[in-house]
Amino acid sequence: MSSPLFTIPGIIEGRFLGLLLNVILVLLVIYYMREGRLPYMRRVAGLDAIEEAVGRSAEMGRPVVCSYGIAWDGFDYWTVAALAVLGYVARLCARTGTRLIVPTGGSDGSLIVRPVAVETVRTAYLLEGKEEEFDEKDLPFLSGQQYAYTGGYIGILQRARPGAVIMLGSHYSEAMNITETANAVGALTITTGCYASNLACLACASDYILIGEEGTAAGAYLSEDPAQRASFRAQDIYKWIALAFLILGLIAINAGSDFFVRLLAT
Amino acid sequence: MSAFFRSREAMLIVMVISFLIVFIPYFFNVPALEEFSTTWITIAAIVNAFTLVLAVYSQFRRGIYFIRTGKRAWGFKLWMLIGIILMIIFATMGMEKGPYSWAMQAIITPLSSVNYGILAFYLSSTCARAFRARNLKAFALLVAGFIVLFYQAPLTGAIIPGIEPVARYFTETFAMAFARVFAISVTLGAIVFGIRVLLGKEPMVLGFTREER
Repeated sequence: MSSPLFTIPGIIEGRFLGLLLNVILVLLVIYYMREGRLPYMRRVAGLDAIEEAVGRSAEMGRPVVCSYGIAWDGFDYWTVAALAVLGYVARLCARTGTRLIVPTGGSDGSLIVRPVAVETVRTAYLLEGKEEEFDEKDLPFLSGQQYAYTGGYIGILQRARPGAVIMLGSHYSEAMNITETANAVGALTITTGCYASNLACLACASDYILIGEEGTAAGAYLSEDPAQRASFRAQDIYKWIALAFLILGLIAINAGSDFFVRLLAT
Repeated sequence: MSAFFRSREAMLIVMVISFLIVFIPYFFNVPALEEFSTTWITIAAIVNAFTLVLAVYSQFRRGIYFIRTGKRAWGFKLWMLIGIILMIIFATMGMEKGPYSWAMQAIITPLSSVNYGILAFYLSSTCARAFRARNLKAFALLVAGFIVLFYQAPLTGAIIPGIEPVARYFTETFAMAFARVFAISVTLGAIVFGIRVLLGKEPMVLGFTREER
């Protein structure tokens, strides 16, 4: 393990660069959000397909199933990002009169997310002027156990035969069981892979998949708010910085220098 | 006053303070703040634990509604409620041994393992659909997939020794490079998302939407 390149008094050894990068990123995001100038954004097929998925379900007279993951601690950034998309899906469902089923549970921590999900869906129906169509029973809590939740989820898919399954947030090994069942009942599947090996499996099993930052950026992408979208500019700058570090690090390490290793050591 | 505590501003203030309490001790050497940060996280965990009670209450309310109205599969709800009551009683009798431990080891763990085990069949059907060489990219995926699959399978490495370096090359260069790019992308996305949440620009997260602002 290499020792950090430098230390700053009062700051924990090796964490200065991280602090600096975080502070600059915050300032950049604030700057770009205030400026509100939209960056170039390529189309994300998985997110564009949500509207198509809900429309398809409406035409077929089938429900839409949308879940926000089973993060072990309840909330993680995937879950929070997924809740934003859930709100969007709920609004589309309310608008088109399509039944929305949101299976909840899957981990001990999931208990604390459910009330937020209920409020998110309720607000969406309220905003579409269809509060009376909101039914909390369509957000069943299946279990705090991962595989009991999976069994319940699969049962819902087989009984309700949805037209679309939108599976966002942190899903782990159970994701394959769910996606394959969704495929078997003829549902259009849109998923997020929250870790690399899961992503590989879901890429094969799903119709559309959100990769990496697409999952966390989904809420901003779907919103009409230029400020939210403008924050992607800061993200893009940091991606170029990361790429520069990768290339320079590669050159340095092959030239026998451990400068970048020590610079990034914590 | 209650309106203030339910407002977006109050939620954002709590969120920003909580963020700073956890963020600052990670970078700065302030022992008192670090201690407070640990206490803060413990308080949050205790508050979370209380939501368990709410969840059990919600399950009972929903379960009783199903049973009372005789909805489809109400028997399962009855079974679930009996299960909850039994597990609460068992847990009070001790968790290391006794009926709670038995229920966990003899019922819940095996059932979870079975569910995990059948994952292999789901993976097989996915592979069957995905590994159709419809174009050049799919063909490359098929070839790489088979090489790694054969390498991982028992005995194949011994029968075809030349497969190991190729399979390792795929997993240790392409797969690892992808995993690292994925990690960088997700981390950046998560940080920027976090900043948007802290700035109140992800209103749906707090149960608010643009129309309400």
